[in-house]
Amino acid sequence: MSEAYRDVPESGLGRVKRLVSDVANDHIRLFLLGPALLSLFLIFIYPVTFLVWTSMQRTLAFGVAAEFAPTANYEAMLSDPTFWNAAEKTLTYSFGSFAVTMLAGLVIALALNRVARKRLRDTYTTLILLSWAVPLSIVGVTWRWMFNGQLGVVNKLLLDLGILSSGYSWLANPLSAMVVVVAADAWSRIPFATIIILAGLQSIPQEMYDAAKVDGATTFQTFRHVTLPYLRPSFFVAGLITWMFAFRAFAIPFSTTGGGPAGATEVLSIYIHRFGIELFDFGFASAVSMFLVGVTLIVAGIYVNVILEQISEIEE
Amino acid sequence: MAGREFGIEKYRRRQRFWKAVESPYVVHFVLFLAVFFITAPLVWELLTSLKTNDAVYNLTYLPRNPTLESYYVALFDRGFWRAVVNSAIISSASTVAVMLLGTPAGYVFSRYRFPFDNLVFTFILFTRLFPPIGLVVPYYRIMQQFGLLNTRLGIVIANVYLWLPLVIYIMRNFFITIPRELDEAARVDGCTKIQAFRHVVFPVVLPGFAAGTILTFLYSWREFLFAFTVSTDLSSMTIPVATFLFVGDTSILWASMAAAAVVATIPSALVVFFFQRYIVVGLTGGLKR
Repeated sequence: MSEAYRDVPESGLGRVKRLVSDVANDHIRLFLLGPALLSLFLIFIYPVTFLVWTSMQRTLAFGVAAEFAPTANYEAMLSDPTFWNAAEKTLTYSFGSFAVTMLAGLVIALALNRVARKRLRDTYTTLILLSWAVPLSIVGVTWRWMFNGQLGVVNKLLLDLGILSSGYSWLANPLSAMVVVVAADAWSRIPFATIIILAGLQSIPQEMYDAAKVDGATTFQTFRHVTLPYLRPSFFVAGLITWMFAFRAFAIPFSTTGGGPAGATEVLSIYIHRFGIELFDFGFASAVSMFLVGVTLIVAGIYVNVILEQISEIEE
Repeated sequence: MAGREFGIEKYRRRQRFWKAVESPYVVHFVLFLAVFFITAPLVWELLTSLKTNDAVYNLTYLPRNPTLESYYVALFDRGFWRAVVNSAIISSASTVAVMLLGTPAGYVFSRYRFPFDNLVFTFILFTRLFPPIGLVVPYYRIMQQFGLLNTRLGIVIANVYLWLPLVIYIMRNFFITIPRELDEAARVDGCTKIQAFRHVVFPVVLPGFAAGTILTFLYSWREFLFAFTVSTDLSSMTIPVATFLFVGDTSILWASMAAAAVVATIPSALVVFFFQRYIVVGLTGGLKR
């Protein structure tokens, strides 16, 4: 900063530099924020408009110009049983993953918070973060491999332990296939939930615990009346993000089961991908996308309001 | 439990029970189970990748004759090395673009007021809440129009859409933690506004910048949905997509797929290993209000 531009010789280039710098300073908001906003506009607003527009068009016919039919795709969607199947699978999938992730995240975070030695805690954290780093499609193929009917290590383990008497085709049965994809999904989300909840735990002031101790509260009472209320905001944030990302999950169900067997794990994102990218029914896929977007935004909106209330409650 | 009366005996028994639950043995047992659950699939991929594609068919826990053959098959026979190159280029380019655009934007939101600033910021958060799967079809068609299908640029653009809002949000939260007096002192010393940002505030926020960079890199490295939609051939395919090269019509080259999975995981695992602290700071810093 010391070599301000008074040191720059006033050559032609120097003058241009100075002019640019002056303009940038006078319009610093535009200069620093403009590029980001412009990019977001181009790469977000334009496609979203396109999405809304496409969802109101009949596009299936090849070689024929798309025809404007504002409700046709939505009607087709609502009367299609495979759509409702996908919606139901999405709910099962996202809430299953949410429940497993948040429960495991809470337990692991509570345990991590009890480890006094920082080195040891960091080692545990690193090891637990590993699954977060694995690309989601790799998670899928890994679980597909582990739960393979003939060659899967899970079957081998269960056989060797005497729990199963013959190999089981995990991914061929609708219920167990769902269990496997949900477990794989939770596997990749647990580190995130753990980190957020742990941060929440560590922000609780120690005095609260001391006070509870003086009052003679049992450990459980302390947990219920001190830890949980303080934890609620971070629990809610981790929960919303976990659920939201599981609700729109594509990579894991796609690479584990591909939506099978017979649509048993075909969540909405796979459904959209199938119609939009594989079958080229852009209009129909866009209508389903609009449905998924709508549900996510409504839930997120309600949830964010609840979180804000919770937070103001605690701060009062 | 609160408010209910119970005798001192019952109280002591409960206290003892919870003391046991909290004991180091239980804590470390829980953590051991968690670590096992997290690492076991990765260990299994690693072990499988050391077998040959044929050896997979007589199932053993450990590879009988450990070999790197399936790595060779994956990387060179199947051209997976090109995906490695693509992933490195795409993730780096995405990270540079996102950080270059996002850091100044985050700074503006932390320091300046302007008309509709809250609305603009809410819009940015909104793009983050918006499910990307909803944009897959429009992106596909727009990229088709502009000839960006099967190009690295197409995937980089998708990555910018995905992670720019996140980085603006995270960087704003980091900048907020830095007192305004620092900017003001620099201005008094004769800095221009831009210089104050570049030479005074930015160096202080470097840990946050590092966190943003690492997160963006890891997220771009992991990204599957758009990369899978936008690219279908090896000239632009990233690692997460190219792993499917080993799924044939009739059989799957399990060992080579495992090798590909290991190759995909090692870089991000190393980043986690060396930068764990930054990742934790980034993940939680992005959520603090």
